[in-house]
Parts: sequence; structure tokens; C-alpha cells
Amino acid sequence: MDIIACIKRVPDTSEADFIKIDPAQRDIEKDRLAFKINNWDEYALEAAVQLKEKLGGTLTAITVGPEDWNEVLRRALAMGADNAIRIDRDVSADDAYTVAVILERVIQRLSYDLVLFGAQSEDFGSGQLGAMVAEMLGIPHATLVTVLEAEEGKVHTQRELEAGTLQSYTIELPALLTVHTGINQPRYISLRGIRSAMQKELQVMALDDPGLSPETLVPMVKLEKLELPPKGKEAELIAGAPEEAAERLAKILKDAGIF
Amino acid sequence: MSGILVVAEHRNRALANVSYQVLSKGRQLADQAQMELLAVVAGSDVDAYAKELAGWADRVLAVKSDRLEGLLAEPCQKIIAHLIRKIKPKITLMGHSSFAMDMAPSLSVELGIPLATDCIDIFWQNGDILVTRSIYNSKVNATYSFAQSETVLITGRVGEFSVEEGGRQGQIEEIEFDFEEESDYKKFEGYLEAEAGGVDITQAEVLVSVGRGIKDKKNLEMVEELARVLGGVVSCSRPVVDYGWLPSERQVGLSGKTVQPKLYLGLGISGAFQHVVGMKGASIIVAINKDAKAPIFSVANYGIVDDLLKVVPALVNKISELKGKTE
Amino acid sequence: MTLTDYKYGDVIHRCFRCGYCKFPINWMDVNNCPAYARFRMETYSCGGRLWLTRAWLEGEIEWSDHLADILYSCTACKNCEVKCPLSFNIDILNMMIAAKGEMVERGEVPSPVKEFLENIQRQGNPYGTSRAKRGEWMEGTGIEAYQGQEFLYYVGCVGSYDTRGQETARILGKVLQKAGVSFGVLGNDENCDGNEVKNLGEETLFEMLAEENVAQFQGLGVQKIVTLSPHSYNTMKNDYPGFNGEFEVSHYTQLLQGLIRDGGLDVSGGYNATVTYHDPCFLGRWNEEYNAPRAVLKSTPGVQLVEMARNKDGALCCGGGGGNFYIDLLGGSADSPARRRVREACETGANVLAVACPNCLTMLEDAVKAEGLEDKLAVKDIAEIVGEACGIK
Ligand SMILES: Cc1cc2nc3c(=O)[nH]c(=O)nc-3n(C[C@H](O)[C@H](O)[C@H](O)COP(=O)(O)OP(=O)(O)OC[C@H]3O[C@@H](n4cnc5c(N)ncnc54)[C@H](O)[C@@H]3O)c2cc1C
Ligand code: SF4
Ligand code: SF4
Repeated sequence: MDIIACIKRVPDTSEADFIKIDPAQRDIEKDRLAFKINNWDEYALEAAVQLKEKLGGTLTAITVGPEDWNEVLRRALAMGADNAIRIDRDVSADDAYTVAVILERVIQRLSYDLVLFGAQSEDFGSGQLGAMVAEMLGIPHATLVTVLEAEEGKVHTQRELEAGTLQSYTIELPALLTVHTGINQPRYISLRGIRSAMQKELQVMALDDPGLSPETLVPMVKLEKLELPPKGKEAELIAGAPEEAAERLAKILKDAGIF
Repeated sequence: MSGILVVAEHRNRALANVSYQVLSKGRQLADQAQMELLAVVAGSDVDAYAKELAGWADRVLAVKSDRLEGLLAEPCQKIIAHLIRKIKPKITLMGHSSFAMDMAPSLSVELGIPLATDCIDIFWQNGDILVTRSIYNSKVNATYSFAQSETVLITGRVGEFSVEEGGRQGQIEEIEFDFEEESDYKKFEGYLEAEAGGVDITQAEVLVSVGRGIKDKKNLEMVEELARVLGGVVSCSRPVVDYGWLPSERQVGLSGKTVQPKLYLGLGISGAFQHVVGMKGASIIVAINKDAKAPIFSVANYGIVDDLLKVVPALVNKISELKGKTE
Repeated sequence: MTLTDYKYGDVIHRCFRCGYCKFPINWMDVNNCPAYARFRMETYSCGGRLWLTRAWLEGEIEWSDHLADILYSCTACKNCEVKCPLSFNIDILNMMIAAKGEMVERGEVPSPVKEFLENIQRQGNPYGTSRAKRGEWMEGTGIEAYQGQEFLYYVGCVGSYDTRGQETARILGKVLQKAGVSFGVLGNDENCDGNEVKNLGEETLFEMLAEENVAQFQGLGVQKIVTLSPHSYNTMKNDYPGFNGEFEVSHYTQLLQGLIRDGGLDVSGGYNATVTYHDPCFLGRWNEEYNAPRAVLKSTPGVQLVEMARNKDGALCCGGGGGNFYIDLLGGSADSPARRRVREACETGANVLAVACPNCLTMLEDAVKAEGLEDKLAVKDIAEIVGEACGIK
């Protein structure tokens, strides 16, 4: 089974309490942030590697981004991808549609049975890319997949709805799935693995390789401005050392009749 | 005449809450622009839904077909694409549900129209429609406009728009729709409902809820202890289920359970909206998180900014002490 | 990997499971391997791990979560190395680390270990807190950035990020200031020292950290390093020379010992307490420094030093080594080594348990709370005791 996994690199903002927006209100200041592979993409890669280990075939990882995004492709190579392709482009002003156009152009020239995406990205979270690419490629898709089993020519999947309900599908290949967290336990990628992936070839494409030019890529959705969220209702913070804070909280809960 | 079209969703014999939310938002946007509000609902038996929707919409388009037994993305995409082509609404609005995540992106490609998903605000500005999205772990708000287009597609964040009284009596129109031959490249096999588990977190008065910040399942022991002294049970955010530390029946949020306890004590939970929609109805919300900017603090009544591994044992002690005094 | 590829393939079978590896030096009980003390099963002793490792590499058993937990519950405290009667004892700990290394390369490690290592790859500390916040502990202390001062004061991850660790890092900084020591710190530019990374079996990541740190220190012209943590001290002193990083490394207790002796630090303010001292493994068994911390305590007026039954090379590990202060595979029980250790400290009649390591500090202080001994026993870092004796609040 030949698999393509599309991945991206995101800033780690989960525990950052110092996010600043640049004066032009176009981007956040990223110099103090660390970067990582998008959480959902890690699950997609693990799913792809497990399928490959079981069924054989090849795995190609693709990203659309600037040079420092090679890092996530190296992780993919270390995890078990055979090929890695980066389409060189600064995507910071692109909408999902633009990136989908690029990916579709690249993917349609490759041979594949299954295309995997993360269900959404940690930074923007619009969750559009996978299903857009599927529609462009004219292949069936399912998003938010939490169970995936493959056999010759088809996949059995379950996708997640609200409140714990799952929707079960059998889909003929070629198909595209977007992978949700919890589908597997992504493995640890050791630094030795990443270092030896440095030796492997990493294909870099310019936009015109698949016959695109910057002028043809016009976003459908345009960023007007970034702002910090307005200060809404904030919790009453209980200060002090753990013991003091715990004591005050215990009193509050007692007064509220919790115990 | 262009209007605003709301796509309503239903499951388990009821309209989805999020559909009421976007319907209310749609009504507001339509009134502001003096436009018509349309709602579309598709299914095998939609009469009751259509009546309900007529309380908000000027016109309800009821699409009836046996092909629509479950609310599946593919047939619905065909219907909605057809309706948008025909009606050319200025905006097509739906909730950012799992259904929408499956359908909206491919619909936007099929029609070649702009799509903005998971919006927390939708508003007019000089006759144009703009949206706000919450990005970077809810730490930044981004406002977007759309490229020139007759019609745009927007999905609204679950739980973000309040439900207003409708009080209208719109017309209901039944719509016939001819499906092309059914293809079998994608076969729907059915729904799997969540298994009923041993502990029902929706019935608990006190929930001590843990997130990724708990770091390891070993630390659950102290959390169980805290739940015990408070007379409650332990619930969790999604990663805790993903790691296999707690069973999925304990998960609070969009893809888990919606809870309304008297006390919701969130430990090491950042407060992603998919989690918050499941717990914001709690009477008292307390958050313990070491990141002072974690979005959970804007839904919590009380907060402690510190390491939960330090605060929890202290809290167990203090509560036990206070209980000892009264008993 | 098979047994034949395994570096210790030709010796690992020599463990004959005598079980000596879990005794303390005075043979008083069998609980001196912290992991064995916690679970009371042979599998969790050094000998057990060696047998399991051999069986795993020979294909007799499969990798499992449980096997990984067993290997990672070793805190690298070195008790077994001191106790094993066979000549191969110099390698028994390395055999376990090499087995962890194999799990690392296969990507099959317990989830907190994965998180620990990924956090270090990304943020240079196990907590995953931003690198940009590493220097926050020193706000308002007036401690200078390193720029050619005599000493580089290397704080380490626990001292930089853990709230209790930060307190000790600040006090030690103030003590050094008071003694007029010429020193500076790296602040946000400080990176993980790699000691735990090495013990978790992530050899390549360790090498990278060591190379980067050595290059950074050399670039800044560092010659002398004083560390807050014995973990940093151990790896900088013993491992960095292998990366061409020859520095004069001391643990802060060694520096304080000299300062007090030579009159450079006035501790006449004293500290009135009965104190028992817990030897951190990476100062004690790993580097055989049993004297400096005790000398500092003894030269502080008012301190009455009493010893626990298990001390020096027979000391029981707090359970925080080998990354366990974070991955915590030994926690959650009255048999957890830290809780055993604080009970033992209490038995001496001491009212202060002195430590010389921020990991021990956090582990043992939590244990005091878990045991409900707060009224009887306070856990203090020697830096705090000295700080008080020289009038620093
Ligand atoms: C379609 C979809 C459905 C979803 N459904 C759900 C759902 O039903 N329920 C749900 O919960 N999520 C759901 N999610 C996932 C959601 O987006 C978040 O990823 C998730 O809620 C984050 O969980 P968390 O807060 O535990 O983890 P994180 O966001 O990683 O937050 C961990 C927090 O712990 C804090 N922390 C770390 N260490 C400590 C410490 N020692 N002491 C104190 N604080 C600490 C950190 O500061 C951080 O704020 C869904 C996502 C999608 C896309
Ligand atoms: S490691 Fe040494 S002391 Fe332990 S059982 Fe084996 S031979 Fe005996
Ligand atoms: S190093 Fe310590 S914890 Fe590990 S096996 Fe030896 S005695 Fe036990």
C-alpha cells in the first residue's frame, strides 16, 4: 500500500503565557517560541507507519512550508517514511484553500492508495485541508478518523461525531482520511533516528515544479488583523504558596456547601 | 434575492443545539442586513424539524428522501451545493460540528467559494461579512475577510452563539431532490453509540477533572483521593483518554460528555473550547493550571496558578482537616 | 537488536541472581534498591532487570508496557553497583541503561519518558516549559549574566523551573554574592545538562546536549563551574571531558566548604536544629563526595548533625534519579522510596532533613507531606541552611 502523509510544523503555544502580536497585526512574534510537528499529524504519521509495517508499500511525507519545516520531514523519515517532499513556500499568509491547491498538484502526480492528514492543526485549527484536497483529487474521504484498518483495496474506518458516537464506513481506495488523536500511541523518535534521517534525501520543490506560480495562488480568506482576545470575565485568582492557596480554596468550597 | 442560509443538523430525533445557535446568529445577521433567513433541513422524516426551524427562519427548505437515513456528508453535500447554486445566498452558515468538518471543505471546493470554519464571531462591516477565529490555543483572535464572491460558507464554533427566542412563523417548502445513481466507493456501515460505562460523570455533583497537565497516570492516585474527600468522581479531558489513562466514559467535552455538576475542579486542563463546551454549565468552576494565560481561567470562577502536583496533595489535606472539624 | 548486538551480550548472563544488589552497606535490610523497595518483587531489582533484559533480547519474552516500566523504574542510584559481588558490577548499571537505549531506538518507551525526552528536544527541559522562561527564577536577585567571571553558576532544569528548586537556586545565588564570589549565570541560554537523558538511554540526545554545552561554555571562556545540582555536577565532571570539555567542576557544597573554612563566608548567624543529611546519589555513590556537605553542616553553629541508619554509600535513593523526579514510576505508595526515606529521617530525632540536590528536595518534601510529618520534619537544602546562617532571608 502506498501512503502519502501531509504534515506541518507549528509553534508550541500550549504553555506560553507571553504571546505577542507584531505591530502590523499580521503574525505573532515567534522568536521566543519553540516549534514542533502538529499534534494531529504525529498521529497520522504513526497510523501510516503502522499500515506500512503491516502491509508493505511506501510512505511519502509532504509539507508545504519554508526551509525550517524540513525538521518535521526529518521526523517523518526517522519514523519510517521512505520519501519526503517539501514544497518551498512561506505559507504564513496562505489560507487552507491555497495550500490545498498546491498539495493537490503535487499529490496527483504521485502514485498512492491512501492519503492521510491530521484532522486539524494546532495553530489555526480550521480543519479544512484534508477534505479540500480529497475533493480536488476526486477521491472519497472521511475526517476525524479514530479507527483505521486496511485490507487490499479498501479501508474500514470509524470517524468521530459528538458525544462519543462513531460513524463507521468502508471506503474503497484510493481515499483520503484525516486522523484524530487517540487512534494510536505515536512512538518516540530518538535523536539518532533524526540524525540518520539527515542523511536521507529530502526533495525540495519550487512552486513551478508542479506548474504553479505565486500569482495564481490568491487566498479566498484574507487575514485582516490579529489581536489578543478581549479581557473577558476572569477567574478570581487565589495567590500564595500551594498550602496557603489550598487552604483558601478549601474554605471557599466549604462555604459554598460542597462538603 | 440573496439571503442567509442556515444548514440545520439533527441526530437522535432532535435538532442539534449548535443548529439553534447558528440559527440565532443567522437571524441577527439577516435582520441587520434586511435579508431573508432561510433554513434547510434534510432527512428521511423532517416535518417536525421544519416546524421547529420555522420559528426562526423566514423560509424553511425541507428536503425529504429515504437516502438521507443518517445525516451523511456525501448526499448532503449534493443537496446543499444544489441549493446554494439555486438560491445564491450571501452566506451559508452551519455549526462547526463533526458533520460540518466532513462536508464544508469539500463543498467549498465543489462550488469554488470561500470557507471560514470554527468562527467565534460573524459580523457585517460596510456591507461585507467578516469573521473572527480563535487561534494559537485560544491565545489570539484573528479577523478575516473574504475574497470577492457571490456567496461564502461559514461554520460557527459550538457553544459560541447564544440561542435567542425565534417567535416567527416562516413558510415551509418541501423540496424534491433527485440523487444520481448511488456509488458504492464509500459505504456507510452504521453508528456506534458510546458504551455505557461503570461511572456516569453526568450524574456527579462534584467532578475533579484532569488534563494533560497530570503528566502520568500514576498521578491519578492523588486526584482520586481529592475526588474522594470531596465526595465526587474523576473526569478528564481528551488527551487523558487518548493516552489510555482513563476510559472514554470519563471524557468531558464535545466528543465526550456534557456535564453540569455543582463543582467542576479542572486540574492541568488548558480549556480548549472542545472541552469547555462540555463543562461551562457547572455552578462553580475552579481551575488549577501553571500557565496564567490558560484559557480555562476565563471560564473559571476561581483559579490557582501553580503546579497541580503540589496543590492537590495540599488541598486533600486542607479539605480533610476542615471536614474533620465539622464531623 | 539481538543479544549478539547488545554491547553486554557476553556478560549479562553472568548475573546469578544472588540478590545482593538490593542490600545497603550494613546488610540491615533488603530495601536499598529504591525500585525493589517500592514493589518488593525481584523483577524490580537490578538482577531482575538483567534477567528480563537477557530474556527480551533472546526473544524469550516480548516487549511490553510493563517491561518498559520495570526498566525505567531504575533510578540509576548505583546501589547495586556498590553491592554486587561480581567483577562485572562496574557494568551492571550500564547494562540496564543500554536496554533502555534499545527501547529508545525502537520508540517504545513509557509515555512519560517520551514526553520527558521530547520536551528536552524541544524546550531544553523536561517540563516542556518555554526556553524563554528558563531565566525567570533570577528576577530581582541582581545575579549577573555570565561574562568571564571566575565561576559559571550552572543551575539546571529543576533549579530553573521547579518553584521549590527556584527558591534554592536564588538563595545559593545570594550566598555566593554575599561571599563575594565572582560568578555569572546563563539565564535563558542555559540548556539541559543531559545527565538524566543519558540515564534514560537516549545516548544521542545526551551527546548533542553535551556537545552544545561544551561549545557554549568554551565560547564564553568558562573555566570553573559550580552547580546547584549533583546531577549536573556528575555529568559535567565525568562525561564532558569525553567531549573535550575540561572544566574545573564543583558542586556548590564543595565551594561552600572552602569558603567557610577560609573565612570567606560568615555563618556565625548559625542555624539551630538537629539535622540529618540525605546523600544524593550523584554526589555520593557516583562521586564519593560524602564529606563536603557534612563539613558545611558541621561548621554551621547550632547544627547538630545526626546520621540516618543508612548513609553515605549505603544511603537509600530518594527515588528521583533516572528521570524519576518527573516520570515518577516509583511514586504513589507508602513504600515509595522518598516516603521510606523521610520516615527513616524522622527516626533519628532530627527536625531538619538536609539535602544537597533540588531533585531530592522536591521528592522528599512531597514525601513529608504525604506522610503527614510536616510538624516534625522540615526538608531544607544546605544552601538554605547556610543562607539563614549568613543572614539571608
Ligand atoms: C473534533 C474534536 C473534538 C474534541 N473533543 C474533545 C472533548 O470532547 N474533550 C476534550 O477535552 N478535548 C477535545 N478535543 C481536544 C481539544 O482540542 C484539546 O486538545 C484538549 O481538550 C486539550 O486537553 P488538555 O487541556 O488536557 O491538554 P493541553 O491543552 O495540553 O493542556 C494541558 C494544560 O496543563 C497545564 N499544566 C501542565 N503541567 C501542569 C502542572 N504540573 N500543574 C498545573 N498545570 C499544568 C498546562 O499549562 C496546560 O494548560 C477535541 C478536538 C477536536 C479536534
Ligand atoms: S546484579 Fe550482581 S548482586 Fe544483583 S543479583 Fe546479579 S549478581 Fe547478584
Ligand atoms: S541503580 Fe538503584 S534503582 Fe537501579 S537497579 Fe541499581 S539499586 Fe536499583
